[in-house]
Amino acid sequence: MTKAADQHLQIAVGSDIALMNGMIKIIIENGWYDERFLTRSAINFNDLKAQTAEYPLEKVAKITGLEEKDIFAAAETFAKADRAMIAYTLGITEHHCGVNNVFDIANLSLLTGHIGREGTGIMPLRGQNNVQGAGDMGCLPNMLTGAVPVSDDAYRNKIESLWNVTLNPNPGRTQTSVLEQMESGAMKSLYVIGENPLVADVHKNHTTELFKNLDFLVVQDLFLTETAEIADVVLPAKGWAESDGTYTNTDRRIQRVRPAVPAPGKALDDWEILCRLSTKMGYPMHYADAGAIWEEVRMIADHLYGGISHARLDNQGSIQYPCPHEDHPGTTLLHTEFHDSRGKTAPFTPVTYTAPVELPDSEYPLTLTTGRRYEPYNTNTQTRYYPDTVKRKQTEETADIHPLTAEELGIEDGEYVSVASRRGEVTVKARLTEEVQTDLVFMSFHWREVPTNVLTIDEFDPISGTAEYKACAIRIDKLRQ
Amino acid sequence: MTERHETATTCAYCGTGCGLIIETENDQIVRVRGDKSAPVNKGQTCIKGALGYHYIHSEDRLTVPLIKKAGEFTEASWEEALSFIADKLTGIKQQFGPDAFSMFACARTTNEANFATQKFTRAVMGSNNIDGCNRT
Repeated sequence: MTKAADQHLQIAVGSDIALMNGMIKIIIENGWYDERFLTRSAINFNDLKAQTAEYPLEKVAKITGLEEKDIFAAAETFAKADRAMIAYTLGITEHHCGVNNVFDIANLSLLTGHIGREGTGIMPLRGQNNVQGAGDMGCLPNMLTGAVPVSDDAYRNKIESLWNVTLNPNPGRTQTSVLEQMESGAMKSLYVIGENPLVADVHKNHTTELFKNLDFLVVQDLFLTETAEIADVVLPAKGWAESDGTYTNTDRRIQRVRPAVPAPGKALDDWEILCRLSTKMGYPMHYADAGAIWEEVRMIADHLYGGISHARLDNQGSIQYPCPHEDHPGTTLLHTEFHDSRGKTAPFTPVTYTAPVELPDSEYPLTLTTGRRYEPYNTNTQTRYYPDTVKRKQTEETADIHPLTAEELGIEDGEYVSVASRRGEVTVKARLTEEVQTDLVFMSFHWREVPTNVLTIDEFDPISGTAEYKACAIRIDKLRQ
Repeated sequence: MTERHETATTCAYCGTGCGLIIETENDQIVRVRGDKSAPVNKGQTCIKGALGYHYIHSEDRLTVPLIKKAGEFTEASWEEALSFIADKLTGIKQQFGPDAFSMFACARTTNEANFATQKFTRAVMGSNNIDGCNRT
């Protein structure tokens, strides 16, 4: 990405809000904001102005590690562009202040009017093929099918009469909160589908202890993952290329997935397992196929999917929701009502910069930031099966270290080193590269041989529950001979 | 000569949602290529989309339900495994209430499977403790 960029702002880890507040201040002072749009559509401008006044260029340059002129240029380019958009991923959300980071992105977009027109907007690139769809279907503690809150009485009552049950009107627990309940012993049973939290979650050694606290753990997966190994029951599920249905991509596009090969052994589709279990527990759930389930989704959430049937998808390809009826073409662009007679308004949410929770010190003098690499996918349960004939850049984990930092530590490229934090230690190969800043080390969590999440810190954003994967203090030592 | 089949589908890795064509022979995937008619990728793929499918035919795939007995997994029929889970979950719900149960749903599986997952959690277990990996 940086090679294709006109400007690469290589900021200090976790200084996003300082940068964005600084840019907002520059845009306001120079009058580069969209005055007409602001008056019509934005609320709370004076608060934003007051809050960002605390971020003069000199201070922002110091916090972010950037040159003042580069910050100024970025603010000018973004504000003056006819169309500009902000795309982001976990680099924004995996911080103790992840939600505030997102608020500041919204502030910047609203201030410049870069929203609700083609080529503008905010684009969170989602990591999993159907993380959007899973949430939209209601796999969230506070949302029912169709992205309507569980507290919405009329909507919940509609589902209750369809399902002939009484539903709980109070939001449930997030995964983060469930882990806390596992610690206290209040959470007795957990059912995990196609996920490997033992390897994916922060502070791995602690997570493993929590899972052992459960009375009953069910894991439904394609493989005997690390999490499955400690389960009481493991159920074989069908995978991609074996199941039928739809996924929803990052821009709300419903797309068909189709079976191409039979599943191995007795593996069943995820939905079929749950239907059989429901029926066994006294609540019959029977569907002829995935299409029959989708018809129930359409019935409940007709405001989003009323016009999207499997048959229509088969005929014309993908459709972006909302698509409330069969004659509706689908919706490519959201938030256009900011610009037309419907007169949508939105408030600014001013936020304050806060440094990462665990800063480097004399004992742990470096910062670790974690993320993903190009070829492997998450905990590598699927991508470890690339055949040897596929050429890859990387087949084992490395600690990516700047050559100057490595020189101070007396470490050479390819040497195995110890990386330790207050929570754990791993042995890993050093890779010297100028892709990272000095005193910053990058690692991924793809290879089970190097469980990077024994190092990461269990500090979370208070609203989203997302952990601060992006910053913790570490030390690197040569291995003792 | 073996017959080659083509199936149009969507990639199961990231949220971009690339259209892919799966080519199969004798119920085995032999090639995956980008779908030129797909609006998202117009035929392009990354290495994961085009070459990351070999796990599907791996010998390591789970093929039967497993129940842990005295610390060791033993193979079970669906009937046996689901009856065992049903008894355990019913017992936990009766003794500790619906909130002692939690579901970690899957952001990789289909909308239809996710709908069934939350319906099971809400209608059968009576709990809103359902979440995905959207926070990691």
